Amino acid sequence: MIRSRLRHPMVDVALKALGRNRLQTGLTVLGITVGVATVLAMMAVGAGAQRSIEQQVRAAGLNQLTIRAGNWRPKVTDSDEAVAHQGDARESLTHPLHRLNEDVVKIAFHPEDDPMEKHDHPTARQRLGDLEAGLGSAATMTFDDAEAIRDMPGVQYVAGGIHENVRVHFDKKRWFTRMHGTDVMMPSIKRAWTFSAGRFFTEREQDRAEQVLVLGQIVVDRLFGAGANAVGRTVTLWNQPFEVIGVVTSATWVVQPAPGDDQFDAVYMPYTTTQRLLNLSKLNDITVTAASSGDVLRLSREITRLLRVRHRIGDNDPDDFTIITQATKALTTGGLPPSVARAVAANVAELEKVTLEQLAITMERASRTMTWLLAAVAAVSLLVGGIGIMNITLLSVTERTREIGLRMAVGARRRDVMRQFLFEAMVIAAAGGLIGVIVGVIASVSIARTLQWATVVSPLSVLLAFGVATAVGVFFGWYPARRAAQLDPIVALRRE
Amino acid sequence: MIQVHDLTKQYHVGDHVVHALRGLTMSIAAGEFVTIVGPSGSGKSTFMHILGCLDRPTSGRYVLNSRDVSTLPADELARVRNETIGFVFQGFNLLARTSALENVELPLLYTRKGVVKASERRQRAIAALEAVGLTDRAEHHPSQLSGGQQQRVAIARALVTQPSLLLADEPTGNLDSSTSHEVMEIFASLCTSRGITIVLITHERDIAAYGTRIVDFKDGSIVSDHPAEPFDSRVARVAGDTLAQGRRR
Repeated sequence: MIRSRLRHPMVDVALKALGRNRLQTGLTVLGITVGVATVLAMMAVGAGAQRSIEQQVRAAGLNQLTIRAGNWRPKVTDSDEAVAHQGDARESLTHPLHRLNEDVVKIAFHPEDDPMEKHDHPTARQRLGDLEAGLGSAATMTFDDAEAIRDMPGVQYVAGGIHENVRVHFDKKRWFTRMHGTDVMMPSIKRAWTFSAGRFFTEREQDRAEQVLVLGQIVVDRLFGAGANAVGRTVTLWNQPFEVIGVVTSATWVVQPAPGDDQFDAVYMPYTTTQRLLNLSKLNDITVTAASSGDVLRLSREITRLLRVRHRIGDNDPDDFTIITQATKALTTGGLPPSVARAVAANVAELEKVTLEQLAITMERASRTMTWLLAAVAAVSLLVGGIGIMNITLLSVTERTREIGLRMAVGARRRDVMRQFLFEAMVIAAAGGLIGVIVGVIASVSIARTLQWATVVSPLSVLLAFGVATAVGVFFGWYPARRAAQLDPIVALRRE
Repeated sequence: MIQVHDLTKQYHVGDHVVHALRGLTMSIAAGEFVTIVGPSGSGKSTFMHILGCLDRPTSGRYVLNSRDVSTLPADELARVRNETIGFVFQGFNLLARTSALENVELPLLYTRKGVVKASERRQRAIAALEAVGLTDRAEHHPSQLSGGQQQRVAIARALVTQPSLLLADEPTGNLDSSTSHEVMEIFASLCTSRGITIVLITHERDIAAYGTRIVDFKDGSIVSDHPAEPFDSRVARVAGDTLAQGRRR
């Protein structure tokens, strides 16, 4: 028998009463345990699925948007205010160079422009698609713009960037690739990144505009040979020595590094270094991630408004920047014929609403529905456990009718009797809840280990499962406890 | 101590009404040992339940310790039961699988003046067991005790809150004759040594004779109410009864 030193004697009374029916108590506790453990494990599986979907969505960059300097997009007749002020595309397209920055032009020469040069790399056209090639180099955005965007609500990470096509030399080998002068924030934005060697540059290196370089996997393969160690070596770019500090590659099988992919066939350096070496003060683009992937469209509208104010653009003038989300990118780099791409891009604002963002929202909603469905199924087992509690408490009340009468005769109030039985029910539920939480966590971990499913046991779900179990105890203990409390002591004392 | 005035109690059994008490008026002084006798259905148990605040009268007044308790709410009645009244039942009503000591402690779990500390509960329970001469059986469970011992534990339980009124409903009904007399001696001594008022129901005349006053019930009314004979004449009367029975045979 449990000899407890607990303060309140009622606790003692309830525990003793439970101790008298040890087998029944144990089985009822088991019922609740199974219920709670199932709820917890199911919620863990559901939440795990949700998180992995979210991760895939994030890795695919659905929460990303890029603000590019310049405006080359065709004019759209659309009610949407975000795109209502865009310039005339035909004009932009027929005079693609009129927005080019003079500073940039002096280094813009590269062998690709020479029709006689033979090269073993993708051309800028192949790399960037017809519409983007040679565009977007207008210098209308500043570091201060990036800082202003950083302060907006709903913004997760912001990284300004300067991009050039460069030749990287190592020894006698050279590789024509994309250079990104970017921010230390970039690895947080590119969730699908992993460093196969070394690291990304640090804030300190960025502040001091040091000549450090992170190479994409493809660049390493081409310059050093597959599997070679590049970290610590020095490569040449713009006739300047750069120390290789890291190698970046894809973290997910969904995206494989490929020549011309702009991510892993690329080199990265602090944007400050680019600004220093090229004597630039502008940014080509700003990459922004939204804290929630469903928030991208709203954020792009807000950013449009902010930048128009900052750049003092009149109501009737076109934007001097372009906001590109994943949908736009997918359409314009897909190698579509220019006429088709133009036509599609003209309607891209509408398309975006129904394509990737919608997909992201739908996926999130679907996984949430699944979580709740699983939890509901598990809740049924908790309900069965609750009926078990009701059963044992009713049995206990019936068996102990005389005891209840006696307790009343010696001074127990109805509420004392009620409290006693309710407490018994709660002790069973809480014990079941506690064991259930432990079993549930173990189950979630073993599911993750054996089935390779992602499971997430959040403190909230633990609290929820335990709380629901206790609530079940109170709910199903209520009726029997009330029956006990309503007994007439005289009748109860006469009961055999 | 106790005044009841024109007490009535009616039960509804199906369509017809049962009159358990028909206008009962009596008073009991502090320190009296009243035994109530009467056939089954005479209303003596109903009267006892009303005295014990387990039931309320249909009409009439019940004043206990100068307080009208006939209309108190249920919680207040429970408090009166806890603080003023001790019960002893025919069937002992001890909790099984619970030691004698813990059984005696039970009423102390429901005291209103704050929770009684475990150590104090134990102390008072031991004192109560001492009063019935059962200190050596404190850790025994009811199943390990004889009927007489069980009833003594029940008396100790009734005493533990130091009530001024002790109500016993056929306390010797389940006991053999020698044990019955042992138990009755305890009641008698509690009355004389502690001045506790006792109201005791019994079927048996020789048990009733332990009281200082004997009340006869029939059909919900009192048919006779007289002081008990002094002990000597009681012995003589018991002897006389035996003789009379012998003559009838």
